[in-house]
Amino acid sequence: MAEVALTARTPLDGYAGTFGGVTLVEAAGLSLVSAAVPNGGGDAFAAALAEGFGASRPSTGESVPGDRLGARILGMQPDQMFILFEAPDPDRAAEAVSSALGPAAYVTDQSDSWAMLRIEGRGVRAALERICMLDLDDAAFPQGRVARTVMEHLAVIILRDGADSFLLMTPRSSARSFLHAVELSLANVSE
Amino acid sequence: MLIDHPLLGPRDAQEFVVLGDAGLIDRPDRQAGDAARRFHEYLHLRNNPAGEHRELWFHEQGDRSWLVVTRDTLTHEILRVELARDVAVARGRDR
Repeated sequence: MAEVALTARTPLDGYAGTFGGVTLVEAAGLSLVSAAVPNGGGDAFAAALAEGFGASRPSTGESVPGDRLGARILGMQPDQMFILFEAPDPDRAAEAVSSALGPAAYVTDQSDSWAMLRIEGRGVRAALERICMLDLDDAAFPQGRVARTVMEHLAVIILRDGADSFLLMTPRSSARSFLHAVELSLANVSE
Repeated sequence: MLIDHPLLGPRDAQEFVVLGDAGLIDRPDRQAGDAARRFHEYLHLRNNPAGEHRELWFHEQGDRSWLVVTRDTLTHEILRVELARDVAVARGRDR
């Protein structure tokens, strides 16, 4: 039988672009796992998060760094966190979180469902404010803030991971359309 | 229109979908003797006030919270926004 080697492709094929002083690059190598809090299990979940990631439970809209695997815990909704991290084995990302949190969380691997783009550089907000309805001002959306919202009618999770840097996550199936929207907005402001 | 989400602050109405009258929280007991009549009322009968109205809104493109929004149907002014979970618990539901 013929030997077949399959090569993994990222959702945007490693896209990278530069627009004036702003770079737009596909963020690869990150795993995304959701951790849902069982009904009435808030205390056990908080204890597991402290034990497994050395982190306190973020409220909705906040994110906190974990102490291993380069993790960041994103508060997506009152009883659901997303854990963004570098999995030692990306095919076993859910197991990595499961073993850190134990039975205190319902865990689902979301990594392959999302495309991730990092947009970075001075003037990044000028491009984002044309497609994002949220107030991205330093006071309203400081570093570490995260939100699920809509841009160009497409679902997006936006995380501010630097003074002039944002991580944008969008469903893989519509990632090309979303990329087009961001590219267009960047082109419009980088004359 | 902006909805002042209790957890997240003001969010554009585009992120939400509206379900309708907040009375839908009070689902009748299916074991009650007059359950058929009460479900008929629950499903089909609504007040249609010109003025203050309580509605269920779902933050679909956001944190997936159900909200109870009190709105004036004459002026579109939003008077109050609460988490539906808090409203349900206050009315004696377990969640």
